[in-house]
Amino acid sequence: MNWNRILAIIIKSWHNAKRDVFRIFDIFWWPAFELFIWGLFSVFISKTSSEGVNIISVLLGAVILWTFFDRASRDMSLAMIDELWNKNFINLFSTPLTIPEYLVGVAIVATLKLIISIVFMFFLANILYGFQLSSIGFYLIPAAIGLTIFGWSLSLVVQGLIIRFGHTVEVFIWAISVLVQPFSCVFYPLSTLPEWARTIAMALPSTYLFENMRTFMAGQPIKTNEILISFGLNALYLILAMIFFTRSYEKAKQNGNLIRNY
Amino acid sequence: MDLLCIDVHHLTKSFGNFHAVQDISFSVKEGEIVGLLGPNGAGKTTTIFMLLNLITPSSGDIKIFGLNYKDHKEHILQQLNYSSTYVEMAPRLKVIENLRVMARLYQVRDAEAKIKMYSKKFELDEFLTKRHDTLSQGQKTRVYLAKAFLNSPKLLLLDEPTASLDPDVAELVRKEILSARKEGMTILLTSHNMAEVEEVCDRVLFINHGKIVAEDTPDQLAKKVRQVRVNLMMKDGQKRTVQFAEKAGFPISTKERFVTISVDEQDIAYLLAGLAELGVSYSEISIDKPTLEDYFIKMTQKTKVV
Repeated sequence: MNWNRILAIIIKSWHNAKRDVFRIFDIFWWPAFELFIWGLFSVFISKTSSEGVNIISVLLGAVILWTFFDRASRDMSLAMIDELWNKNFINLFSTPLTIPEYLVGVAIVATLKLIISIVFMFFLANILYGFQLSSIGFYLIPAAIGLTIFGWSLSLVVQGLIIRFGHTVEVFIWAISVLVQPFSCVFYPLSTLPEWARTIAMALPSTYLFENMRTFMAGQPIKTNEILISFGLNALYLILAMIFFTRSYEKAKQNGNLIRNY
Repeated sequence: MDLLCIDVHHLTKSFGNFHAVQDISFSVKEGEIVGLLGPNGAGKTTTIFMLLNLITPSSGDIKIFGLNYKDHKEHILQQLNYSSTYVEMAPRLKVIENLRVMARLYQVRDAEAKIKMYSKKFELDEFLTKRHDTLSQGQKTRVYLAKAFLNSPKLLLLDEPTASLDPDVAELVRKEILSARKEGMTILLTSHNMAEVEEVCDRVLFINHGKIVAEDTPDQLAKKVRQVRVNLMMKDGQKRTVQFAEKAGFPISTKERFVTISVDEQDIAYLLAGLAELGVSYSEISIDKPTLEDYFIKMTQKTKVV
């Protein structure tokens, strides 16, 4: 791993991101949009609910945590698709740059953008709905790490599919979040899912993190064993995703997909 | 013994049933400039991408600087560079930013000094601070060339290095290629500009349908075309000249007072004696020797017929 080359990717990605108005839009607009929708919805629910559960905090917490997964899964894939669309892929990979170096560089820039998004969301949630960071507290750290890693794993799978099959599977960059969200129990407990869906949900690291977020916000102790299961699954999926991506890259080198015109 | 920068043995690449490159073997010595010629779809680009390790060969062996990619990928790519008119750089980055990123990827020492030097050489100064996507194709090509020289590579792969350049800039690029050779750089280039290939290349590999069909110096390849063109500016007897050529089976074309007859080298005397016998007179005569372009046309037409 050569940090000079990783720095080159960081510099390149950063210049690229700051001059792309749509990517800047991505950092601020969609998180704010989600926050407005779910914020207003939770205000409505809390007014009509007699139990007085802190529904606003729970839903806004879920929206903020979901952003970690959503952005992590999308930003890395978008960085790669940018290279392919811009025909810059050959320039990069005819240098000594290695795939792990490229991915680390892109992941660092994606993390910086994610941090900006999250800080902005916390700020907005506080101003609009009085949301307090303390309501998530220290739980933010494992949840953020777990969801970001899960996002990266799925992004690697999507990137592998793109370099292997080209344009037709690009839609997964945006669709992956929509496909995973219902099974991750972001806004409702696992028990509300039908039996068959519950089996899928329990195979996702995200489900355990959202279940425990609600537990934590209700003032109850989090279930450490569930958090460990989540991280175990995350580690397994990350390794499998890396293997899949590496194989896809080798396959793309064999069938000429790396150099074809996108 | 000459050191081999590129040593390729029985290289084959198939995509399904399509055989892009079929069992080619060639080598390029250190300090040599070799042209890889052939019509579109001949297998040139596939060969270059295999040399860059961006396409995995179906079979065969590639050694760069005597090393293979499997064990020495980083070492090889550190000393190699590539430029193509058909590959872009990050569009939203300024020219100088793109060059700095590439310099960092190659870990170029004194990157700023090198960027300055090649910006001057390829006349990039006036648009160094412009975004890449605002450049003309000619300007982009100059940027790619500057990028290709940045790491002072031992081996340079150039795909159409002067395509879309103005003649004066193209000349400047050819000078740079020749001067790089003096410094010991090895270059493998593709070009559709045959005059350019004749000017800069020590040797030419002619590839068609994925196979190397000829390998020689540009002069020797041109000599394989025996046809010459005899150009006449007619004073009198143009009609008789056309009739004579047609009767003898020589291809002929006319434009106003100018007549061009294609003949085999050994038939020049027969043609001129025949015209003299008919009392034809002309005010000017010139004979065009066969060029590499003629060879290129001959070979591509031959394979089309086949």
